[in-house]
Amino acid sequence: MKIMHRLHLDWLTFLRIYLRSFLLQASWNFEKLQNLGFYYMILPGLQNIYGPDVPEDTRRQHTDYFNTHPYFAPLVAATTLRLEKDSCAGDGPAVDAETYKSMVMAPFAAMGDALFWGGVRPLAALIGLLIASQGSLWAPVVFLLIFNLPHLFFRGAGLTLGYVKELRAIETVQKCRLPDLAIRLKESTTILIGVLCAYLSFKGCEHQELSAVWGFFTLPIVLLFAWLAHKGVSSLFLVLLTTSSLLVLALLF
Amino acid sequence: MVAVDYLLAGMVSMLTGLDRVAFVQFMISRPLVAGPLTGWVLGDPLTGLEVGMLLELLWLGRLPVGAAIPPDDTQVAVGATVLAASTGHIVGLNGMPLVILSVLIAIPLGKFGQVFDKLARHVNDRLALTGYNALMSGNTAKMERCHLSGLVSFGLASLATALVIVLVGSFVLFSLAPFLIGAIQEAGLSLQYSLILVGAAVLLGTTNVNRGISLFCTAFIGTLMVLWLR
Repeated sequence: MKIMHRLHLDWLTFLRIYLRSFLLQASWNFEKLQNLGFYYMILPGLQNIYGPDVPEDTRRQHTDYFNTHPYFAPLVAATTLRLEKDSCAGDGPAVDAETYKSMVMAPFAAMGDALFWGGVRPLAALIGLLIASQGSLWAPVVFLLIFNLPHLFFRGAGLTLGYVKELRAIETVQKCRLPDLAIRLKESTTILIGVLCAYLSFKGCEHQELSAVWGFFTLPIVLLFAWLAHKGVSSLFLVLLTTSSLLVLALLF
Repeated sequence: MVAVDYLLAGMVSMLTGLDRVAFVQFMISRPLVAGPLTGWVLGDPLTGLEVGMLLELLWLGRLPVGAAIPPDDTQVAVGATVLAASTGHIVGLNGMPLVILSVLIAIPLGKFGQVFDKLARHVNDRLALTGYNALMSGNTAKMERCHLSGLVSFGLASLATALVIVLVGSFVLFSLAPFLIGAIQEAGLSLQYSLILVGAAVLLGTTNVNRGISLFCTAFIGTLMVLWLR
């Protein structure tokens, strides 16, 4: 509370910004992507700084093109508000809010995509699938918990960090080595894909009353399909290819 | 299935559809969640779980980056669950073969999702412009309304996709079921496992990791050896 008082934005404003961050992409559009959503998110903070009538220049600046990862947006929003506040108080920040936004949105978007879409989500999905393969309805619950604990923490931590540390928040994010973490998560995902494939191959052999040795033949087929997917062959085509092959085999034998 | 069930399924379709991009992104839009959720409101969560399992990995590697619109696996899961949990019984089908057939019918229809999603984003172009003009003329409340109206576009796009999948899917299901169900019953569990394996292969192929193949092969061989020798 002491920090909040010193920095002028009260906890209720922070809470409103946090909740509004969930609506960042409500009006996502092709022209300026998250522009209106960003302004909607920081509006309680801007009104706290400038009063109900936010200056026209500020309104224009913060409704320009904006696109970042939605989970990184609270961090960008908080730093932006801190820069606005400093500028309003005549402290003259090293970088103005508009420049800061345009500087960080793309790197943060890339980091967020790799970490959450490419790392946490597939890992959580595979753990969920392994549970679901036992027929347990806990699978979706576990998936949601694994994904959303870091997600919600990240949004909250970003909001606090961005406001308290201002531009130094970038250094803190760099120190967290998030791209390295994303790679570790992807490696774990790859291992879990191997475990899942082996388990399904084993169950398939068991069902057909075959020795598990036959399960090893799945490996080159999965690798071939992975290579095809890597080369850009669509999932739909691979599904149709698999289905038609198996149906023909089922009808023949 | 009574009208209330369809209404509830429609609400799940919109809610999970909003979660894809426009609202929160808690990932209730993932097939592994959207399927059981739809199944739950229809009184058959296990069917939804089976649908979700088949679909979860297929497009997981397609990232919703920038203006890229991945195929709508959420509405494919919702639509396939509705087909499997309710419509299929009308033609006397049930169990895993029905789930597989529903999923196979729903997957290509998911392409409509991309069309409707694109349309919603174009509607939002106009909303964002109106909101921007309102803000510049000092009307903050109107800007907020315009922004939140985007939720309606995304919600309706999701609902439209689910409707197409259920309506066209029901027709295709009734037409194809008599010819295909025998073969699908024969292929049975192998087909179910194979479809999940296809998803796993696609995810493996789209996850760019150094030493990825070595890690995958080691994990596969190790796990299968343990299961075989235990």
